[in-house]
Amino acid sequence: MFFIPGQVIALLTFPGVIVHETAHLFFCKLFKLKVYNVCFFRFGNPAGYVIHENSQNFTAQFFVSTGPFVVNTLLCVVFCTAAFLPVWELQVNDPVAYFFYWMGLSIGMHAFPSKTDLSHLWKAAPALAKQGNLLAIISLPLSAILVVLNYGRVIWADLGYGVLVGILGPIAIFRALTRL
Amino acid sequence: MNQVACADCSRSLASKEAYELNGKIYCGPCVQKAAQRAKESGQPAAIARYVDRSICARCSTNIGENGGVELGSVRLCAACATMVQDWPYPQWLKISLAALLLLLVFALAHGRKYFEAGTNLYRGEQLVEKGQYQQALPYLKETLKIAPNSDKGALLTAKAALLSGDVLTASRALEGHNGGKFEKSDKPEFREVDDLWSRANRAIGELEQASKLEEQDGHEIEAAKLVHSAAALYPHFPHMDILLDQYDEGVAFAKKDYDAFVSLAEKDWNVMPAATTAASLASALACKYAVTGDSAYRQRSEEMVAKSKELAQGDKESLARLGEFEERNRYRLESRQIITRNEFDRKFRSAKGTAQ
Repeated sequence: MFFIPGQVIALLTFPGVIVHETAHLFFCKLFKLKVYNVCFFRFGNPAGYVIHENSQNFTAQFFVSTGPFVVNTLLCVVFCTAAFLPVWELQVNDPVAYFFYWMGLSIGMHAFPSKTDLSHLWKAAPALAKQGNLLAIISLPLSAILVVLNYGRVIWADLGYGVLVGILGPIAIFRALTRL
Repeated sequence: MNQVACADCSRSLASKEAYELNGKIYCGPCVQKAAQRAKESGQPAAIARYVDRSICARCSTNIGENGGVELGSVRLCAACATMVQDWPYPQWLKISLAALLLLLVFALAHGRKYFEAGTNLYRGEQLVEKGQYQQALPYLKETLKIAPNSDKGALLTAKAALLSGDVLTASRALEGHNGGKFEKSDKPEFREVDDLWSRANRAIGELEQASKLEEQDGHEIEAAKLVHSAAALYPHFPHMDILLDQYDEGVAFAKKDYDAFVSLAEKDWNVMPAATTAASLASALACKYAVTGDSAYRQRSEEMVAKSKELAQGDKESLARLGEFEERNRYRLESRQIITRNEFDRKFRSAKGTAQ
């Protein structure tokens, strides 16, 4: 496994960082949470952040924490779908398609929520899950998987996730469309 | 920037660098010692960052002791308070997102031809998976118009073409892909097509050899063996069963087994009513007339010749071949002599024909 500094990866995939933080901000605004500071991209660790108030509302907490995961994953699928056929299946050397594939993979790579986001969710979820809160029930396995994947970043789990979503997503879409 | 004094060492420091412990303000080094002392004397020892309520917690603007807006535990200036409560999306972000959306629309419009090619590829693939090779070919051919270098497209087209007996289309698909080169030649999809392709080519070689032998008298059995071998190698040629029967008819003719000749020709005519099968049946019936003298055979043979000419209408090549055959067949019926085409040519003409 070769090592590339995180800052270089963030620079190469900066659209993903910007989309991730924008998604955080979007859900903070949606749930009317106070936002103290936002950094969409910087050469540092973390490459971007949104400092917001901690909400007592679990729904808000859930969406603010996992929102970027959903938004980045969906955008990864959309961009990769636009580029999947010429790049993978048709093997056409189209620069526009490659640009969109880079865009999609960059966004997909930054889908994982940070450990801090997940720890808030992880702390609040068990008690609410016992009371039958559906989001809390969903968030327990989701957080567990995402925590593991977060640790897997050292072995490129984030890139692996982007590639997987960027390939399997479009395949599923095209297969479904051709069966219609 | 407000300055505060450390309660221990009296050093003046910026308020944002100060700490608070039990109501007193300390600098970084002193707060640790103070916490230790508090712990030893049984007092609370929780250190907190000093919050200077006279400055904005975000931008450090001086707001005075009673100014600004209190949001939760922090005091902010009016501008920051508005921002914190509804953080605006920066202008560059809005423009970037709009540009991204436009790019996406452009990519989708630009990729329309790829979408159509891809859809055709998947439809073709599904039909190939169902074994509907001939139906898959039009979709796959459309894909190759846009993406001739697609490994999947070329291999699927070649597979569908080879399994439906269309060697020419398979050849075009394979040759059109980087001049016939495939990087991943160890893939099972490639090996499957490669095997089919080599079997089809060996079969074509054997059929060509059989065709040459067929033109020479006395090699009918050898020619039929080659055609049977070709059929075993590559059974996907269209009308392979008819071709096999035609060579077997040649063997029956050579062995003077005219009943078998008629039986095979009759079967082929029923399976595929065409000029060639009608001519074969006419030839077999003429042989039967020659050996039996039964005029029913002669009459049917003449009818089949007429039928053959009728079916060949518009096809100059077939009509020319039938003209040559009709002359020999008439000789067979009138003389009741059964001779091969070569013998006929030697006896009556120098030009060559094709039908038996």
